[in-house]
Amino acid sequence: MISRRSMLAGAAAIAGFSAKSARAMDVFRLGLTPVFLDNDAEVVDRLRGAFADTLGIPVELEQRRTYEEVTGLLLEGSVDAAWLCGYPYLQHRKSLELMAVPVWNGRPLYQSYLIAGSDNTATTLADLRGGTHAFSDPDSNSGYLVTASDLARMQERPDSFFKRTIFTFGHRNVVRAVGDGLVQSGSVDGYVWEALTKTEPDLTKHTKVISKSEWLGFPPFCTRADRAGEPAIRAMRLALLDMGKTAQGKAALDLLQLDRMAAAQPSLYDGIATRMRELENFL
Amino acid sequence: MRGLQPLPLSLRVPLLTVALMVLVGIIASQQVLTTLRNVQNERIRELAQLQIEALSVALGPLVLRKNVWEVYDTLDRATGETHVQRLVFTAVADENGNILAATDPKRAPLDSPIKALAQDAQNLETLSIPDQGTDIRLLSDLTYQDRMVGQILIELDVSDLLAERSKAARLLLIGNAVATGFLALLGYFGMRRMLRPITLLVSHMRNSGERPEPIPQTDLPRGDTEMTRLFHSYNGMVGSIEAKAEADKRLANRERFVSLGRLSASLAHEINNPLGGLLNAADTIKTYADRPEVVRESAELLTRGLGHLRDVARATLDQNRLDRSGAVLVPEDFDDLRLLIRPEVSRKSQDLDWRIEVDQKDLSQFAAAPVRQIVLNLLLNATEASGQGGKVGLQVYTGDNSLCINVSDTGPGLSKAACARLLGNGPASSEGGVGLRLVHDMTRELQGFVRLNRADGVTTISIELPLKPDNQGDLC
Repeated sequence: MISRRSMLAGAAAIAGFSAKSARAMDVFRLGLTPVFLDNDAEVVDRLRGAFADTLGIPVELEQRRTYEEVTGLLLEGSVDAAWLCGYPYLQHRKSLELMAVPVWNGRPLYQSYLIAGSDNTATTLADLRGGTHAFSDPDSNSGYLVTASDLARMQERPDSFFKRTIFTFGHRNVVRAVGDGLVQSGSVDGYVWEALTKTEPDLTKHTKVISKSEWLGFPPFCTRADRAGEPAIRAMRLALLDMGKTAQGKAALDLLQLDRMAAAQPSLYDGIATRMRELENFL
Repeated sequence: MRGLQPLPLSLRVPLLTVALMVLVGIIASQQVLTTLRNVQNERIRELAQLQIEALSVALGPLVLRKNVWEVYDTLDRATGETHVQRLVFTAVADENGNILAATDPKRAPLDSPIKALAQDAQNLETLSIPDQGTDIRLLSDLTYQDRMVGQILIELDVSDLLAERSKAARLLLIGNAVATGFLALLGYFGMRRMLRPITLLVSHMRNSGERPEPIPQTDLPRGDTEMTRLFHSYNGMVGSIEAKAEADKRLANRERFVSLGRLSASLAHEINNPLGGLLNAADTIKTYADRPEVVRESAELLTRGLGHLRDVARATLDQNRLDRSGAVLVPEDFDDLRLLIRPEVSRKSQDLDWRIEVDQKDLSQFAAAPVRQIVLNLLLNATEASGQGGKVGLQVYTGDNSLCINVSDTGPGLSKAACARLLGNGPASSEGGVGLRLVHDMTRELQGFVRLNRADGVTTISIELPLKPDNQGDLC
């Protein structure tokens, strides 16, 4: 078992090496989706600053509209790492490797919320039959997989259970769509809904949570498995894990209402994997 | 206009001016408001077209793909970034008319028919702002790449334009009212000033009574204006009337002298006839002074002749004295008239039909002088008209509340000019005498009237003088 001291020493050595290697790399590209960070330019700036300070080279944050696009960028090597969701991570489990996972309220876990308009009388998913529903992204765990797998357990498909479904490609947009009355219900990341309740209460006050899923693995930072050993990647991993130790990193975490970043094992996403299997089996 | 006729001209004309100005003000205001309405409609059409075009460009591909969220997000962002909230509501439908998204999704639910919202919606070509309400609704096709891919319904807030229209109408109303009122006052005083000469003329004509008065030179308008010429004409007319009246007066006096001359000739004849007898009586007395019976008989003859002369003298004196005495009419006045007319009647060997059938009580309501003058004039004219051997008649009787005097003759009848002088109220012609005009004027002064009748060769002039009721007593 690796002692804490040796681990820190190793880490320091890696950090030193990685910093050197990173300097050899002109720029580090990190892929993001607006699924979490919709319209939050300040968070993007803070993240860019925090990573650049630690790595010693500029960090470019590549934003794409969908998980699919960002995952594609990562797999083809256009970005060096990306903040994905547990669902696309598991979809490409063999090609990807976990770098770090955010810790929220002391745990690297979050829930999927099924929400509806505040004046909606529904109390369960079954009550939403025949209505209109908003998903965030077809590759989002909380924004699609959880509800789709719940429906699979009910032997239902989203497009037949609901009268109409739409994708908003953003958890914040799901809250907007439900709150504004564009749709009657939505599937949203519980962490985003709670964060919005604090930062933009006007958005969430017109919605209510009908049901919450079990606790599932928080969306992780991933890299390509075959590049995991690259110094820059390893340096980035350490930068993520030490994010809370720098002022810029702490400020970024605070903006994101996260505690810190932690190392994670694939087993963290077993719950999501289970839902994936259920959905695949039903389909 | 008929309702204004009781008003004076100085008020009527300004009021007419005010009415015309109000009419002009209303028409002008209507024109301004119509122009404003057209400009606003043009503006709102242009704005709506820009909105539709911009939305078509932004939403075309999204609607084509039926991307509900993107359509909604685009609409939502566009609404949020607009500072002036002219566009208050937008709904977008697919080519089947089913709502894809709207700025207010609760009002326009997803997949509901856009037709339900499109009631009273206008199209772009005829878009206009109504006089009522605050919003206008427009339904238009959404075209993308020259293909109709959906429909757009927009609602535009036009309350500010309506307020602008209302404000313009208010300002026009106030402005027109003030301008009209001010100009009406100016018009009123201006017209009063311009019509002042007319007012002065009317005043002089109204205050002149029987005879018009000339306008003093100091009151004549300055300059050679129409009014000045009118005033000069008026003063000239007044002068002519005065001259005519003076001439009439002189003619009347001449007529009196003519009557007097005729009367004097008759009297001379009347006196001359008995004078021969009286002188014969006196010679007889001288010749037969010693024969008492002859002297007595001659003295008796002298007495009767002198008595007749005394009566004639008295009647003549009475005729002149009564003008000044104011004595009332009595039956004896007609006896005097008979006495005065008899010489003329006798000279012309005329028959005199003399009938006085009236009470003293009725006669006493009238002054003697005018009635005597009227009857004497008519009798003299009648004897003149009847000629040698003609017939002259006088009948006086009490009619229905009137004293009736008929003078008849067998002459050829009155000429046209004589009829005009006797019966007409207009100015008498200069030809002929004024005796008949005196009869007419004196009868009018006694509140009576004159009638003329000719039948069977007899001309009858009837004078009717109204009697007062019994309780009003005699002439004061």
